[in-house]
Amino acid sequence: MKQFITQLLLPFMALIYLTNAVQAEGIVTDLSKHEVAIRSNFTGADILVFGAIERAGDSAISGPADVVIEVTGPETSETVRRKDRVSGIWLNYEATRFERVPGFYAVLSSRPLESIAPASLLKVEQLGFNNISFGKAWSSVLGGEEYLRTPDEVAPFSTAILRSRAQDKLYVADSNGVVFMGDTLFRASIALPASVPVGLYTVKVYLLRDGQVIDAISSPLLIAKSGLERVIYRFAHGQPFLYGIVAVLLAIFAGWTAALIFREH
Amino acid sequence: MQIYLPIAELSINIFLLLGLGGAIGFLSGMFGVGGGFLLTPLLIFSGIPPAVAVGTQANQTVASSISGALAHWRQGTVDLKMGLVLLVGGTIGSFIGIYVFALLKSLGQVDLLISLSYVLFLGVIGGLMLIESARAIIVERRGGGGTARRSNHHNWVHRLPLKMRFRKSRLYISAIPPLLLGTLVGMLVAIMGVGGGFIMVPAMIYMLRMPTNVVIGTSLFQIIFVTGLVTILHSVHNQAVDVVLALLLLTGGVIGAQFGARAGEKLRGEHLRLLLGLLVLLVGARLGYDLIATPEDFFSLSGGLG
Repeated sequence: MKQFITQLLLPFMALIYLTNAVQAEGIVTDLSKHEVAIRSNFTGADILVFGAIERAGDSAISGPADVVIEVTGPETSETVRRKDRVSGIWLNYEATRFERVPGFYAVLSSRPLESIAPASLLKVEQLGFNNISFGKAWSSVLGGEEYLRTPDEVAPFSTAILRSRAQDKLYVADSNGVVFMGDTLFRASIALPASVPVGLYTVKVYLLRDGQVIDAISSPLLIAKSGLERVIYRFAHGQPFLYGIVAVLLAIFAGWTAALIFREH
Repeated sequence: MQIYLPIAELSINIFLLLGLGGAIGFLSGMFGVGGGFLLTPLLIFSGIPPAVAVGTQANQTVASSISGALAHWRQGTVDLKMGLVLLVGGTIGSFIGIYVFALLKSLGQVDLLISLSYVLFLGVIGGLMLIESARAIIVERRGGGGTARRSNHHNWVHRLPLKMRFRKSRLYISAIPPLLLGTLVGMLVAIMGVGGGFIMVPAMIYMLRMPTNVVIGTSLFQIIFVTGLVTILHSVHNQAVDVVLALLLLTGGVIGAQFGARAGEKLRGEHLRLLLGLLVLLVGARLGYDLIATPEDFFSLSGGLG
């Protein structure tokens, strides 16, 4: 009987041992800055993510671990339209609205994701271009009623988002983006283009070994308009009527000043 | 040197914007039209969201028209009464235009609406101007007397009720045609972001038969008010007026307009109209081609059009 119990427990004990071993390895990370201010001279920014792999004691872990860094921007609903020829003219015919599309997405690693982790894990963690979820997809034709679609049916539309955002450098995948210094120190630079959307970002650093996630740390990153840009944006959205009047007055003043200047000459 | 535009939410070269404004200002000073029919598509090509391009363009037109309007006001070449009648129509038209814009925006067809409007109006107006000015030039070359035409010539405009006397224009005509003209142009301002001078000026000359010397001043006078109204309406409905963008464009614009006005003085009326007609046709043809040519990318993201 005793032997039977031992046999029954053996796999569990092995598991506990493994987990302990796994927990013996972790990461500490930080960002070069947690806040990016967008001012009139903003042409983009670079965020440095750095960190170290910590190993408890002299554990027998050997071989390199993998670090994957994922940056996700604020999610919004996004509509993709497909042009079709209707009586000789190309017009937006079918539209698909995705409920949760990140405005920015970057995934950086030290080697291709496919060789770091199995496809099933990448899918679960939504790592990589092929695994980002855009939420529910609703299609409509020429502004008609919306109907729910399966991800496979709207694949051309979601790849259109990936293509367009990649072109604008808003979606980035870099399998050489994480640089190791020695076995434990790593860093990565994330380039934010000028058109980067404002909002709260999440920088998630994964530590993987043998195709499994051992540790993960999330840090917030805030991108906000600042100074005059913030004042103008807030004014335009908070007091649109007054903003319109001020815009007109400014234009009148500018045009009038110019007229005066050129009359003098 | 890049500058970040707070409403368009992108960073763009400051000299590109100043240059664009200057070039369009030059044309506007030369021909006495707003030039928005060129600037709006150019802004869209530079990556500005269409809604922001239209809203900001209306704002910029206020500034670029004001120096011209002031000059004409001093010279006494503004028909105030005619301007006010046009303005009443323009106000009605602006509200209709904003409504149509919002409706089509929700259907995802705003760019189609903008393109179709351009192709239709630019094609018709450009074609008419070209034919008319070419004919005038030919008649003059042959030495035929061009002075006898168009005086006392009555058309359908003179048979409508609600007649009003427009002293400056030496006209006694129904208020309905200028009201309708104002409404049409108001709609175009709201939908296309243009000042509407390219419709207004020929319609005043050929339809209302106003004397050429008061046409441009009166057109500019009402354009200021209609574009001002449209700016406010676009701010309220779409939050799509970027004052930083507008200020940059108009800085280039007012300077360009001064040089354009001087260049325009050296050209004769018929030649000016011939050139403008050609330009209008060219822009129309370009946009028409985009409608029928197979697009490079069949997919587009909603972007600033929500």
